[in-house]
Amino acid sequence: MPNTIIQLKDIRLTLTSRAGPVEILRDVSLDILAGQSTAIVGPSGSGKTSLLMVMAGLEKATRGEIVINGKDISGLSEDQLAAVRGRDIGIVFQSFHLVPTMTALENVALPLELAGIPDAFTTARTLLDDVGLGARVDHFPAQLSGGEQQRVAIARALSRRPPLILADEPTGNLDGKTGQQIVDVLFGLRERIGATLVLVTHDERLAAMTDRVIRMMDGRISSDEGKRSAIRAVST
Amino acid sequence: MTVATADAPILKHGAPWRTIVGIGLRELRGGLSGFQIFIACLALGVMVIAAVGALGDALRAGLVRQGETILGGDMSFARMHIRATDGERKSFDALGTVSETSTMRTMARRLDGSEQALVELKSVDAQYPLAGNVEMAGGGDFKAALTGSSAVADGMLLERLGVKVGDKVRIGDAEVEIRGVLTSEPDGVADRLTYGPRVFISLPTLETTHLAKPGTLIKWRYAVKQPLTAPSSPDDLKALRQSVAKEMPEAGFTSNDRHNPSPQVTRVLDRLRQFLILIGLASLLIGGVGIANSVATFIDKRVKVIAILRSIGASGQQIFTIFLIQILAMSAVGVAIGLALGMAVPAVVDYFYGDALPIRAEFSVSPASLAIAALYGFLVALLFALWPLGRTERVRASELFRDAVSPREGWPQPVILAALAALVVALFGLALLTSEPRSLVFYVAGGLVMMLVVFSVLGGLVANAAQKFPRPSWPPLALAIRNIGAPDGLTRSVVLSLGTGLSLLVAVALANASLVDELRGRLPEHSPDYFLLDVPKQEFPPLAARITESIPGTQLTVAPMLRGRLVKLKGQPVEDMKVPSDAQWVLNGDRGLSYTSVVPEGSKVIEGQWWSADYSGPPLVSFDVELAKKLGLALGDVVTVNVLGRNIDATIANLREVKWESLAINFVMVFTPATLQSAPHNFLATVRLPKGTDRAAEVALVRDLGQKFPTVSTIRVRDAIDQVNTVFAKVMVAVQVAGSVTLIAGALVLAGALATAQRRRILEAVILRTIGAQRRQILAAHALEYAFLAAIAALVAILLGSIVAWIALTRVMELDFVFSLNAVLLTLAAAGLLIAVFGGAGTWAVLRARPVPYLRTE
Repeated sequence: MPNTIIQLKDIRLTLTSRAGPVEILRDVSLDILAGQSTAIVGPSGSGKTSLLMVMAGLEKATRGEIVINGKDISGLSEDQLAAVRGRDIGIVFQSFHLVPTMTALENVALPLELAGIPDAFTTARTLLDDVGLGARVDHFPAQLSGGEQQRVAIARALSRRPPLILADEPTGNLDGKTGQQIVDVLFGLRERIGATLVLVTHDERLAAMTDRVIRMMDGRISSDEGKRSAIRAVST
Repeated sequence: MTVATADAPILKHGAPWRTIVGIGLRELRGGLSGFQIFIACLALGVMVIAAVGALGDALRAGLVRQGETILGGDMSFARMHIRATDGERKSFDALGTVSETSTMRTMARRLDGSEQALVELKSVDAQYPLAGNVEMAGGGDFKAALTGSSAVADGMLLERLGVKVGDKVRIGDAEVEIRGVLTSEPDGVADRLTYGPRVFISLPTLETTHLAKPGTLIKWRYAVKQPLTAPSSPDDLKALRQSVAKEMPEAGFTSNDRHNPSPQVTRVLDRLRQFLILIGLASLLIGGVGIANSVATFIDKRVKVIAILRSIGASGQQIFTIFLIQILAMSAVGVAIGLALGMAVPAVVDYFYGDALPIRAEFSVSPASLAIAALYGFLVALLFALWPLGRTERVRASELFRDAVSPREGWPQPVILAALAALVVALFGLALLTSEPRSLVFYVAGGLVMMLVVFSVLGGLVANAAQKFPRPSWPPLALAIRNIGAPDGLTRSVVLSLGTGLSLLVAVALANASLVDELRGRLPEHSPDYFLLDVPKQEFPPLAARITESIPGTQLTVAPMLRGRLVKLKGQPVEDMKVPSDAQWVLNGDRGLSYTSVVPEGSKVIEGQWWSADYSGPPLVSFDVELAKKLGLALGDVVTVNVLGRNIDATIANLREVKWESLAINFVMVFTPATLQSAPHNFLATVRLPKGTDRAAEVALVRDLGQKFPTVSTIRVRDAIDQVNTVFAKVMVAVQVAGSVTLIAGALVLAGALATAQRRRILEAVILRTIGAQRRQILAAHALEYAFLAAIAALVAILLGSIVAWIALTRVMELDFVFSLNAVLLTLAAAGLLIAVFGGAGTWAVLRARPVPYLRTE
């Protein structure tokens, strides 16, 4: 029986704005098994990105329990969360979020450097080769196309070989063809390192490529498809 | 594929330092954008401090390098009244080649008596000068020019008397021919502040003038040039001087050597330097507001990067360190620019004002001066950067997908607060170490903190009031008020930057006005019109009669006057004493001494009793109460004064409060008559003419006195004050230039604040224009907003600047405070100009901006 890598229990997220409190997530509970690929879909404002960010520890839940890779992260400090992310979670954003003043190589090497891992640049160079950007290592983000930037972002997210990859609309800012290439790179690499993938998307075709599809509506899970088949797929 | 394995070696504490430094510097590739104001503010303050240090070093180096010339030899020994005895002269001759000179104030007259002028007479022997040269207009041999009954005089004397080279003038009883016009004198600095043109004669000629009588105020100076082989280190020369002093313990000579040829000039330089360093520090601290604004803006712009770093596992400490490194790198740039500019200042000053300086500046910058300036720069940069930098810890990774919903403001972490406290202590400690008098640091620090607090609070109050203000119906006014009340608006930074800069401007302007008023406007009402020096005792009654006959109603006061030197206080030699710097002057060289049986005019006995009119016991002295306190003297203490080569021990019988500014005859020390009566001396008299005395009658009286009493020197108080004013005006220019630096700092902060808000302002204007607002409406709104902010900052600055000036004048300078409308108008004009220039430039850009790019990118 595979391990549960993500365990969410009664997650509630309320944000305060100048206009007053806003309920983003309402009592969401969810288990995701290691090695599973999951898509979270839903209309804008349904809370799917927030759910992903709660899993990443980027957003602190107002209430509830979050266990990632066997560790309860709900009470951790920002720095402890950063350490968990550095070790266990790779995140891919819709807007790439590369550091604009650093080259592709430096961006990919950054998490390794921050963790004090030696040969950060050698590892980063190999990763960029793997995503097909071996010739663009010294380019700055502004000198790269959207697809290339996203490949750099994926290489950066996977540089420490995390057991969990979280992707927020990874193809949302890209055209269809480029988006497909990114999906191929993302799924290919995930398979090679055997990581769990959770992605947020509007794209039903992308969602269909995953083992499991969770639909969100008004901060709640409205449907959860393929859970059993995924478990079956993993266990057989 | 090769991916770092999960069990790859991870350093215990994460990335090593150099990696973090590398990341910090790498992230700076975005350029200096946004740091210009940061660097400018820092560079300006560091420049002032470095420039002051470098200029001080250059002048000090000049003083040391030219020490021999300034002093007229390796060492000098000086004494009032009495020429060296044969025995004393022998002691000097044993040290090397000796040159004897004497200086005194006296009158030079045309032979027909129609014109006369006070001159600074310097009589020299054949050896003079031992170092340097006396230069005359058109060249010529100085020594040859002084053979026979002749003189070399400053051109100003020729002008005043209307004579030319070859003409004769009368000095004392002698007729001397002017053989040349003096252009430079090597050892002029070693003599005191001069009130008249210099005239050189030879010592034999001085004999023929019959001016050097017992009791005449004449200073004899012996310059010694050692043989080349003699040891000449500072310690050697000091030891030699001390051995001479030991040889003739009661001779009363003041000695100096070329390593510190003029302690007075050195002290003035030190005081000026310390004062200007405080001005530099003030401009640095005002600039600190700009630094804080820049860092806050920088952190705001880097929020996404910080969030990215957080999302990939960077700890708060790592992120803080990365940005701290960037701030330190920028600080290094600002400090380096400031140091470079500061080091260039002495050369610029020397090029433009070299002739006005008492000594030539030599290019020399001590590492200590640069280190102090750099240290100030880094401390201030960190002090103002740490708080906004602490915000990095509040940036959350969720900013990557959602704008901040909760504010990032708030108190920084305790460790940052502790660091800030340590920086304040370090900065204060450094200021205390490098400033004199120490009380000034407390006043400056107190004043600055008061200003920063007052204007911060005022900015907040104005913004809050604007928020609550009912919306006016006129759109531009409504817009202006809304802008003033906007939470992220300009109000706080404009009020703070403009307010602090203007407050200092007001304070300097008011202090200046009060000082000028004190010297120029108020004195003549209370002070005499003339001082008469060297009035022989027996000549005073006929002189007084002559004056009151010529101009009836004239008031005369007279006091005996000798000059003497304090050599011991409570039995301790003054050379070994450490006294407060503002009392040091009393111990430097000789002072005027007097005696009287009654309390002098303008004095009040505060402690003890005045002696009886017929007192004839052991010597008693009345001491100025304030100086006595500073010197640690009390009733019953014994002070030793050397007068005419004799030490006199006198017991302090009472302490007097002296009103110096009245310019009545007054002395720090007044003795019982029996103490000094028998010593040869002359009188000092003051003449107060009746109000409305005709100038022609006054001139005639002075001319008449000159003819009847040729040894008496007449100093017109107004001329003397003008002389002081000329010197004072130069000092005030320096102070004003330094003061205006603080305004420039304020202007930089203002420019920075306006630049920060510029994008938001343009966007706002663009949106207003898309919905039909006219340019003139936007212009009116901006003008109203700026005018209101400038007015409120200026008005409070006038109030605060007046308080600061009042404290500085009444507590530090001990002068009366006088309010000056001109200073106020100057402030309002400066406020108007600054806001018009910076605000106007900003608004111009706002009105010219093309809307489309702004609308697309938002």
